[in-house]
Parts: sequence; structure tokens; C-alpha cells
Amino acid sequence: MARHIAQRLMISLPVLLGVLMIGFLLLQVVPTDPATVVAGPSATKAEVEAIRQQMGLDRPLWVQFAGYLGRVLQLNLGRSMISNRPVVDEIALTFWPTVELMLACLIWAVPLGISLGTLAARRRGTTIDRAIMALSVMGVSVPVFWVGLILIQYVGGAGLLPFQGRNGPIWTADGLISIILPAVTLGAVFVGPVARMTRTSLLETLGADYVRTARAKGASDWRVTIRHALRNAMIPVVTLVGLQIGFLLGGSIVTETMFAWPGVGRMAVGAITSNDFPLAQGAILILAVGFMVVNLIVDVLYAYLDPRIARS
Amino acid sequence: MSNRMMWTTFAALAAIGIAGPALAQKSVTIVREIDTDRYDPHKSTSRSGAEVMYMIGDTLVNLDFDMKTLKPGLAKSWTVSPDGLSYTFKLRDDVKFCSGKKMTAKDVVATYERWLDPETKGLVKWRMGDVDKITAPDDVTVEYKLKKPFSELLYQMTQYFHTILNVEQAKQLGADFGIKAIDGTGPYCLESWTPRDQTVLTKHKGYSWGPGIYDYTEAQVDRVVWKVVPEENTRVTALQAGQADASQYVPYWSIKELTANKQLHVSKAENFFWTYFIGFKVDKELVNDVRVRRAINLAVDQKAITEAVTFGLADPASTMLSPAVLDFNPKLDRSIYGENIKEAEKLLDEAGWKKGPDGFRYKDGKKLAPLVYGISGAFKEIAEAVQGELRKVGIDLQIQLFDSTVAWGKLATQEFDAFGMSFPYVSAGDALNLYFRSANTPTPNRMNWKDKETDELLDKGSQALDDATRAGAYAAVQQKVHDAAVWIPLYHEPLFLVTGAKLKPAKAHGNYGCALYKGLGLAFK
Repeated sequence: MARHIAQRLMISLPVLLGVLMIGFLLLQVVPTDPATVVAGPSATKAEVEAIRQQMGLDRPLWVQFAGYLGRVLQLNLGRSMISNRPVVDEIALTFWPTVELMLACLIWAVPLGISLGTLAARRRGTTIDRAIMALSVMGVSVPVFWVGLILIQYVGGAGLLPFQGRNGPIWTADGLISIILPAVTLGAVFVGPVARMTRTSLLETLGADYVRTARAKGASDWRVTIRHALRNAMIPVVTLVGLQIGFLLGGSIVTETMFAWPGVGRMAVGAITSNDFPLAQGAILILAVGFMVVNLIVDVLYAYLDPRIARS
Repeated sequence: MSNRMMWTTFAALAAIGIAGPALAQKSVTIVREIDTDRYDPHKSTSRSGAEVMYMIGDTLVNLDFDMKTLKPGLAKSWTVSPDGLSYTFKLRDDVKFCSGKKMTAKDVVATYERWLDPETKGLVKWRMGDVDKITAPDDVTVEYKLKKPFSELLYQMTQYFHTILNVEQAKQLGADFGIKAIDGTGPYCLESWTPRDQTVLTKHKGYSWGPGIYDYTEAQVDRVVWKVVPEENTRVTALQAGQADASQYVPYWSIKELTANKQLHVSKAENFFWTYFIGFKVDKELVNDVRVRRAINLAVDQKAITEAVTFGLADPASTMLSPAVLDFNPKLDRSIYGENIKEAEKLLDEAGWKKGPDGFRYKDGKKLAPLVYGISGAFKEIAEAVQGELRKVGIDLQIQLFDSTVAWGKLATQEFDAFGMSFPYVSAGDALNLYFRSANTPTPNRMNWKDKETDELLDKGSQALDDATRAGAYAAVQQKVHDAAVWIPLYHEPLFLVTGAKLKPAKAHGNYGCALYKGLGLAFK
């Protein structure tokens, strides 16, 4: 398993390099001059030029990228051009709220999706199956902002739960209450795909020889489903969850904006709209690294669910 | 669960339940759309920054709700020399910064020196006038000397850029000043700022020098939380549900609903000067003829646009400046703005722009299709409405909108024929000096309005020693640019302040568009 993880880590390195390069180049093509932004509206041309030299923006692009890479390796992502705080500190401020939100979303949405998918597979062709699939199609089709709006209007508006921001870390009562609506919103669009994938995968597995053997040995239907079939049916589900988490990183921008959640998504949008280049680069980097870490976890889970993968 | 554990849990929940409302009772949550870039009055011009700066800092002079009457602030009184070059301010002797440091005339001098210092890279220094020297003969006297008179000075001093700072702290913190901390003398103190999330203020204990425009001269709430809630629906629902206590960032569509809600109080600022307009580059081929600019003005129905965009809540503009603003010229002929299609067609014909087979107007083979630049967002709807109106008279307005990240750069170029914008102002002089001085081209004088007589009149107005001369000079400038139809004035934006069920109704102020101004109107029922 350790070798498998090491291999996956090695594969991730060029991906990370690519991400850094794309993040760096994306902000180079933006038609705004960072030196002008730093200099401020009252600066003279000479002052702007001096700042450009000071920031190294007059050097060739590859030299600038090499410098950026060197700083990233030292975990020096520069300072925000707006707040003057180190980008690492800014990311630290927003990283945990985003992680909290994702965990709070996954913790209910994934088990519920798997449970509904399992129930639908076990009751294939019945009204329960059709109802669950209808619900999951609805979940896939409904945009996240619509779910958020409805929850804000009818749950938040009725004074049942707070809906404007994070009132503290998740382990505090205020923090826990304030995460409920954003987590439900984000998770609502997650349950459907997981349920559908679980159902499809489980139906396939339930037809396998070893399942028939388990049944022949006298194991109960639910025992066969949960103990024997479900684990093997999980690989496509884990893949889907991994991919969806990636989308969640992006999708959480909408949820974070609606619920004024101080996460990485909002920070990224804020940084881009305010021309805060170092912060925008930092946000892109952290989102990309987050996506890679999720992929790595998915790879490790594959090996856990099916040891043949690690051995191969 | 054991009995002991159950009781412990119950006790903890009960404690949260009891402590929660008690704590909430002392705290006020204000929701707003965007955050500031920093809390440094010399380095930021954002309204979000001003909103907090007014609460955590003080200026020498304050402004009443009528936006005309000056009120003592940190200065108890002031005198102006007959030549208008020397201002003497007598300061209060009982003012302390949040840090406990006593505020003296030396702090006032240090504040202005910091703003003037090129190292500070301070913005909008013209708001200080042409400063010769600022001195402190004693702890309670400030001598503010100018090289030439600046009739706007006292009004400018009510703007948050003139907030008196603890410059020692600014020096200690360097680039972190206004980000990690800022020490002011206002009714509240900055406790913390989490960019893009919230700014927390606490009551300044011992503060009692608030302007006499409120019922109280000290803060009535212990804590103010300025929360950034970007989504307008969320802000409206938060006010309705009692999860927010105040906001001025409410969309037009919600005003009727919020006003009907008996739990809430909606106050409209009586005097708030923020005008939306489209300005012409007067030297561009398509719009350099005053008849064309007048025709465009006559083709636009400000009433219809205001109704469509603001649900009729704004005032359609028939003049470039709000009629309520200081030194407004009431003699302007308002008939040149407002819909008159027949007259517009006549003027365009006279100017040589004849209708082609496609219904659009041409002259020497060139189509009358002026290009307008603007910032995407609110201006999109306005620009499209204007575009529709202009088609009626054969003008094919081309709209190009940019994200705010690039818009300001684009608006400083000469690429366009017209541009859309909105801006706040405190007086006619404030607006005219900013937009119509030849020296201010290409920005903010994006119209390329270079006129010697205008410059002379602006000098005369800004250096006037009496109100009548100042008003007369500014009235003449208004007449000139009005007759030249340099802008299409669209509407004067209103400002609404909504306060929630647990607060006493608060009256909206209009200073720099900060409805809560000093925050002394915030009080529990």
C-alpha cells in the first residue's frame, strides 16, 4: 500500500507543476498590469516602472516563473496586494471554513446517497426504486443556488437556522448551527448522483457469481448486499465522489457567496475581481492541491476496496 | 446516556440558550455587499472603508443630515481669515484615541503631514486644498494655512479622508496600518477585521464627543459587526428574519416589501447625492456636435429608464447635479433633458445625420453608432435601455462593458465616444472640480472637456471668499456644461437605510453614501 501511495504521489508532481504553470500563466494574460494596481491611481509612469522592476515583472516570463516556483517551494506565496497579509495566512483563514463545509456536506450526503442507492437496487422496479430515482434526477437537475435560495427563504427566513456566514468553528454550538444550511445546500446536489451510481453498480454486482454463492450458502439478502456486494460496488461510487468533491471545490463558490461563508472559493473570486494577483495565484494553487489530494485519497481507497489494484 | 451526562448536556444547552440572547442583545449586525481594501483614509477611497472609518474615527468638522450645515467635530470652533488662506481650529480638550492616548493638535498636524508625505502615496490630496503649512501653536489649536483659498475646505473636512489618526501607530505598523489595526477617536473601536468576511467594532468607552445631530453623543450599542453578505436575497431575508439589524444595501425590488414590514423601518436619506450619467467625449467625431449631444439627450426618456431600472424609486435627472446639492443652479433650462423625439430628429437632421434605408442615421458614409464603455453590473440594464431609446431616432449605440478589474484602465483611454458612470458628491463644487477641470483629462475628466473659461470659473469658485461668489461661479460652470450637453444625466440614486425589529428607527445620512455615518443612531428599542 505504501508503495502504491508513493507511486501516486510521484505521478502527482508533474500535475502540480502543470497546475502552477497554468495558474501563473493565466494571471499573465489578464489585461491588467499588477504594477499599476500596486502603484495606485495617483502614481506617475516612473513610479509604475520602478514598481514593475521591483516586482520583477520586467524580466522574461520563464525567469519570473522560476522565481515563483522557488518561492512556492519555500511556502512563500507572497503578500496580498490588498491586505498586505502573507497569502499563506489568508489561505489559512479561508481553508478550514471550506474544508469544514465540504466535510459537513459529505458526512450526510454520501451515506444518504449510498443508502438510497442500495435501497433502490434492493427494491428494483418497485415504487420505492422509482421514487428514489426520481428524487435523484431532481437532485442532479436542480441548481445549487436554487436550493440555497429556497432554504434561505423558508428555513432561514422563518428564523429556524442562521444563514449568513460562519459563526465559529464547527465544534462550537454557534459554528455547528451556522454550517447546517450551507452544508445541506451543497449536499443536496450530491445525493442524487451518488444514489444513482450506487444503484447501478450494486445491481451489476448483485448479479455476480460470488453473490450467488453467498446466497447459496444461506446468507440473508441484506447480509449479502451489505457484506459481499456493496464493498465491490463501491469503486465507481468512490470515483464519482472523488470527482464530485472536485466539483464541490468549484461549486462551493456559489454556496459560499450565498451564505457569506468565508471560504477559499469566495477568497478566489474576491482576489480575482480586486486584481490581487498573489492571492489569486494562492487560491488557484490551494484549490488545485485540494483536488489532487482528493484524487490521491480516491486512489488509496481503490486499493483498500480492491487490493488487486495496489498489487498491480 | 447516564443521568449525570444528561444533566451536564442539559445545563450546557441551557447556558447557551440563556447567554445567547443576552449577548445578541448588545450586538448589532450590519450587512453589506462588499468589503473594503483597507481601513486607511489616505489610501482607500472605497465606500465600505468610509462606512467603518466614520464610526472608528472623527473629523474636525461634521456634516448635518441636510448635507449643508457644518457641525463641530473634533474642532469645537473655527475661524477663517478674511483672505481665506488661514483656518484656525480650536479643538476639544477631552478627546482620546481608542488606545487611551490623548488626542491633541499635534495629532491633527501629524495626520495631515502623513497625507501630504509623498512616501504615503496618499490619494485625493486635492481634498486638502493647496496646503502651505499646518501647525499646532498649542495642544488645542491648529493653524491650517493655504497657498490659495479653497472655499470647499470645510465641506471636504467632513469627508472621511480627513479622519484624525494616531500617526505614531501608523508609523509603527507601516504597511500593516489600517489592515491589522487602526487607532481612532470615533464612537467605536476596531476590534478585528477578517477581509471579505466581517469587521467587528466595540464601543469606545468614554466617548462623548459625537456631533449633535443624533439623539445621543455616545454609542448605544456595545458591539457592531459589519458582515459581508454578497448575495442581495440573503441580505433581504436576513433583515426580515432578524438575523441582521441594519443595511443600506437592499435592492430596489425589495423596498416596497421591506417598507410594508411593520417590524422594520426604512429611512430614505433626504439629501444624498449620487448621480448616474453617460458622458460624451466632446472631441470625438460622432459626438463633437452639440446638436447631436442634445438630440441624444432628447431621445432618452429618463423617467422610463428610472422606472424600469429602479422601480421608480430614483429621481429621473433633468440636470447633471441633484437639485438639493449645495450651490446647485436652479436657473438651468431643464427642457433640454427629457424625451422629445420630434426635436431630437430635427436637431440630428440639422447636424447633417440623415436616416438611411436601415433606419439608422449616416453622414458622409459614416453611421451614427457611438461606442459607449461602462462597467458591467448595474450599468448593463441602463445602457440597454438607453440603446433602445436611441434607436427610435436612428442612433445605433454600441455598448461595451468591462469587468471592474479592467474597466478603469479602459475608461482612461480615448477608445470610446461615451462612457457610463455614477459618482457621489458633497457639493456642486466637489463634482464640478473633479469632472470638468482641463487638468483632470483623461480621467476623471473623460469627456476631454478642456475649456479655459470653465477652469477660470472653477478657480473662482474654489477660491471664493464668500458663499455668493462661490455659488455664482459654480452656477456659471453648470450653465456651460449643461448647455453643451456634455452628459446625459440619467437619475439621482436614492439611499435607503433599513433597520431591524430590535433597533430604534435610524435616520439615513447621505455623507459619502454612508447611511449610518457616525453610527450614533444605532440604539436598541
